Amino acid sequence: MTGRRIALVAAGASLVYAALAPTFTTGSLLRTLGSIFMFATLAQAWNVIGGFAGYASFGNVVFFGLGGYVVAVLMAKARWGFWPSLLVAIVFGVVFAVLIGLPVLRLRGHYFAIATLGVAEGTREVVLNMPRLTGGGSGITIPALGTRATTPYPGNRAFYYYFLVLLVAATAVVWLISRSRFGYALRAIHQDEDAAGAVGIDTTRAKTAAFAISGGLTAAAGAIFAFQQVTIYPERLFSVEITVLFVVMAVIGGTGTVAGPVVGAVALQFLSEYLRSHYLEFHTLIFGAIIIVAVVFLPQGSVSFVREAIAERRLPLLDNVRRNRL
Amino acid sequence: MAQFLQATVYGLLQGSLYALVAVGFSLVWGVMNIVNLAHGAFVIMGAYVALEANLTFGLDPLIGMLIAAMALFVFGYLVQRLLINLVVNAPIWMTLLLTFGLELFCVNVLIAVATGDYRSIATSYAARGFSMGSVRVPYGRLISFVLAITLTAALAAFMNRTRTGQAIRATGMDRVTARLMGINVRNIYAVTFGIAAALAAACGALIGMVGTFSPPGAGALTLRSFVIAVLGGLGNMWGALAGGLLLGAVEAWGGQYLSGTLVNAISFGVLILVLIVRPTGLLGRPFYEARVEV
Repeated sequence: MTGRRIALVAAGASLVYAALAPTFTTGSLLRTLGSIFMFATLAQAWNVIGGFAGYASFGNVVFFGLGGYVVAVLMAKARWGFWPSLLVAIVFGVVFAVLIGLPVLRLRGHYFAIATLGVAEGTREVVLNMPRLTGGGSGITIPALGTRATTPYPGNRAFYYYFLVLLVAATAVVWLISRSRFGYALRAIHQDEDAAGAVGIDTTRAKTAAFAISGGLTAAAGAIFAFQQVTIYPERLFSVEITVLFVVMAVIGGTGTVAGPVVGAVALQFLSEYLRSHYLEFHTLIFGAIIIVAVVFLPQGSVSFVREAIAERRLPLLDNVRRNRL
Repeated sequence: MAQFLQATVYGLLQGSLYALVAVGFSLVWGVMNIVNLAHGAFVIMGAYVALEANLTFGLDPLIGMLIAAMALFVFGYLVQRLLINLVVNAPIWMTLLLTFGLELFCVNVLIAVATGDYRSIATSYAARGFSMGSVRVPYGRLISFVLAITLTAALAAFMNRTRTGQAIRATGMDRVTARLMGINVRNIYAVTFGIAAALAAACGALIGMVGTFSPPGAGALTLRSFVIAVLGGLGNMWGALAGGLLLGAVEAWGGQYLSGTLVNAISFGVLILVLIVRPTGLLGRPFYEARVEV
């Protein structure tokens, strides 16, 4: 129990630090921290469908992009304010997840991963080819300044808090799920879907609900991101690399745990910033190498790794290779 | 009508190259249940080997193709044996992530070494051609079409008629039983991956001969391989060939009649539809009917 208490204290301390950070930091560090919170939210949202239910969605970025575009279109074309647009974006993410999920969640394994990837790529092309509504490849700009602005641009510090609040909310949702009957249903589906169905779990409903929660949270992050960026482009908002990035974060941190995705996002984003500033040309190359090493040695995630290391008083570094190799 | 015919012919010629890329991708997926996201990067690596052979030794890309295939066979063999074999039993998204990391790594090494510019391998004959009525066919495209189909047929014959090919098929059907029959599964996995990489490299040389290539183009090739592998049925060589030709034709027609890049959305739409309605592919029976998941 002491391990758990230490973890709780650490979590509380970092939350207090995060809440107070804007009083003594400004500028680029605040932006970096904000983007860490955003990626942690995305990783946490992926965790619901990928980590708990075991459905590795490689197209979760579609909700991110749609959330962003709903806000941008509503604010720029319908001249709505930000908050009602955000609400619509979340609802849109949930509804889209249900509509897509009903057919796609029937697929398993690689087929599901690739179908979701296809949904993301296809949606990007559709958004790209609706220039009247979305501005097409030249992007869409949210009126953020002067009298044309529907909601005045709130600035760096406000966006920092938006992302922080969203992350706390996402983590709270995952925490609630992890302790609920619904969470156990998802874990059962992860382990053996047919058996889960046989013991009376409505697997279709549970999977779809998990996908919807994931979609809603991801859409919220996309909506805030779009407002922060002011001008958004389909290539950037629907980039598959964003999905892969937060999947890697969730995996490195630990899928199916509450803290894992947050830990993974913090670690990876700081590392990425460091590599970008020190090895600009090679940072993607090194990033690729890190993914390879992490998948081979840390597939259970750092949270479980540390837990195991404390319980057995040794570093279980090669255990996974022994277990997963041919 | 003339335009339609030209588009169809061009689409089929281009589609044969897609098919050759996808046939190895489909083999790896079918036999080992690994979706190799680095497959497109292997194509580009092969193209660079052939380009280098052409610039340094003046070798024709059709000969450089063999060197590229051999080099990438060794590379693919080692990657599978030393790296991917370590995680084959991990959850499926682990292998997806691993090959994604591999793709990032390979593509960025290529960019660092060779820059991200578009390159092509110059020959005296590839751009010349002949006309059939109103339809023009360049020699380079025709050669690559014939070679792509020949290589696919050769792979199918290899899988059906040689001991190694049969060992690969047996491993794909049931790994544990194959092991009990004395097949060295670690080696067979590596050979399979090597063959896929070699075919990708050969195709890279052909792509370099008839068009242009650059490292960032790797992802688009991998995505097309997805569509084709699913269309044709996993591990089904002839299915991949048919799927490749079909995708090439659909893209060419789409380019004629659709605005912008909407044609890409259609190929993804087709992909999702096929996945949901007929996940065994368009060409009937799945290749590994008796597959036992372990």
